[in-house]
Amino acid sequence: MGGPGVAAAPAFGGRLAIEAEGLEKTFTKKRSIREIVKRPFGPAEPIHALRGVDLSMREGEIFALLGPNGAGKTTLLKILSCLVLPDRGHARIAGIDTLEENRVKPLLGLVHSDERSFYWRLSARDNLRFFARLYDVPSRRIETRIEELLRRVDMLDAADRPFADYSSGMKQRIAIARALLHDPPILLMDEPTKSLDPASSLALRSFILDELSRRDGKTILLATHNLREAEALADQLAILVAGRVRQRGTVAEVRRHGIDRPRYRIELNASADPLVGPFRVESDQAADGRRIAVVLLDEGASWEAMVRALLDARLTVQSCDSMELDLEEAFSRIVAAERVGP
Amino acid sequence: MTRILIKLGAFIKRDFLSEVSYRLAFVMQVGGMLLSLLAFFFMTKMMDPNAEGLNGIPPFDWLLIGLAFQFYFSTALYSFSAKIRSEQVLGTLEAMLVSPTPTSIVIFSSAAWDFTWGAFRVVLYLLFATLVFGVKLQLNSPAVLILGVTLTLLSSAGLGILSASFILYFKRGDPINFLLSSATTFFGTVFFPVEQLPEWLRPVSNWLPITWSLRIVRGALLQGQTLTELRGELAALAILTVVLLPFGLIASRFAIRRAKREGSLIQY
Repeated sequence: MGGPGVAAAPAFGGRLAIEAEGLEKTFTKKRSIREIVKRPFGPAEPIHALRGVDLSMREGEIFALLGPNGAGKTTLLKILSCLVLPDRGHARIAGIDTLEENRVKPLLGLVHSDERSFYWRLSARDNLRFFARLYDVPSRRIETRIEELLRRVDMLDAADRPFADYSSGMKQRIAIARALLHDPPILLMDEPTKSLDPASSLALRSFILDELSRRDGKTILLATHNLREAEALADQLAILVAGRVRQRGTVAEVRRHGIDRPRYRIELNASADPLVGPFRVESDQAADGRRIAVVLLDEGASWEAMVRALLDARLTVQSCDSMELDLEEAFSRIVAAERVGP
Repeated sequence: MTRILIKLGAFIKRDFLSEVSYRLAFVMQVGGMLLSLLAFFFMTKMMDPNAEGLNGIPPFDWLLIGLAFQFYFSTALYSFSAKIRSEQVLGTLEAMLVSPTPTSIVIFSSAAWDFTWGAFRVVLYLLFATLVFGVKLQLNSPAVLILGVTLTLLSSAGLGILSASFILYFKRGDPINFLLSSATTFFGTVFFPVEQLPEWLRPVSNWLPITWSLRIVRGALLQGQTLTELRGELAALAILTVVLLPFGLIASRFAIRRAKREGSLIQY
């Protein structure tokens, strides 16, 4: 995917691109016939989709919203795209409350994960023509805009085939083209690589990063449960669990979540001497004439103190690397902590 | 206004392209219309041309208008709710509602093709009737006909939007359509004049827009009646329109708001 770009996103005059403040949303679970028969006047079970979500995104950022299924990611996207009203709190796009949908919608493009959201008997071009009208693209610009977008998403040659004939990857590219029709400064993407094969996912990720973010300067909110995707794309991320933001920050910050003391992987020459110093040994293994240990520093202890202790014990330190959790591990810890209790 | 018309055009084009992609079904629909007219042509030969309520109009001509406009009326009743439901199921409703096009325009325009096709069917019916079955049209006042059709369109759109509001909110079960389509068939003077009903039942037909629509269209198209002769019918239809259309719009506004709050706008 590639090709000529479109105009860069307009500035929001210093305002945050996306802002959520104390967002709460509760749905009621539909009662089965059995439940209605058993307790005709019983209350419907509430489902707390969002429980006071605070988030903010700056212009031009790629922000990943991570979370397990049912965490509230899609509900948050629907509130931001004016499809659902929050029970409490506020959502703002470029400083405008999402209740003012006439002002907010032109600023947004939504990329659905659902490939059904097109007319399958029409071609990609006819689908885009229809949506261009809904997105208020000026009549004289429609054909050139569609041509330009089809070229960018590498669908020009297949544009006149019925949508039903496309692969999942092609459908997703058309979904992106649709979201870009009116050149919105903000894109909301709901699991854009959900049904794609690894090669198509990779191509789409580089399109998001290189074309949409770096080249066009779009602000992108990406809801996903694909950690690798978040890690590859996001400047900032938030982990949403059971309707609450449990962690947010840069990928590195989130990785370090729950690690209050530094951890190091130390490679030493083979020896049987015990490891003693201002640290706790988590593992100590010898193989192929090398000894590899993982240690957790004591509270307040420094890296220098650790190395000095090892050298004083006449051990030969070949390397010493700071260890971070990978995002997957951090994510699992955060989700597990939520299950134990807040 | 221009923007709304442009969007309306986009909906019509979308559905036309979709419709003609099923070419055989399209051709068969037109063939089916001709066959049904043929059946009614012979059926009405059994009817008494002097029956009360026909007002001197030949039975086939009388029934022809009823059939053509009942289709139009039921299009208005069903198409809004059917389209909304189908867009919900297809997943395209969400894609439309995130666009800057207001929800009310999306709902209105979604049935635009059905109305266009409905009008085309009426014209086809009349064409078949005049060319094949020798029906003589006496249109002295096209303005009355246009006014009558416009009021028919608006009043039935009011009911249709009301019915779409039910679908938006309840997803299934549409009492409006069920009640009205049954009432229209029985009391709406589509198949037989109201004078054939027991006297105590006749007032029901006065509450249905289609009764007045058919009186206007039959009068204007088959009897050459003018504004002076049809002013009572036009006034009755106008009153029903003034009540039904705003009521439908208010209901849809309420339903959209509730559905957004409940989070059910795009569920099915």
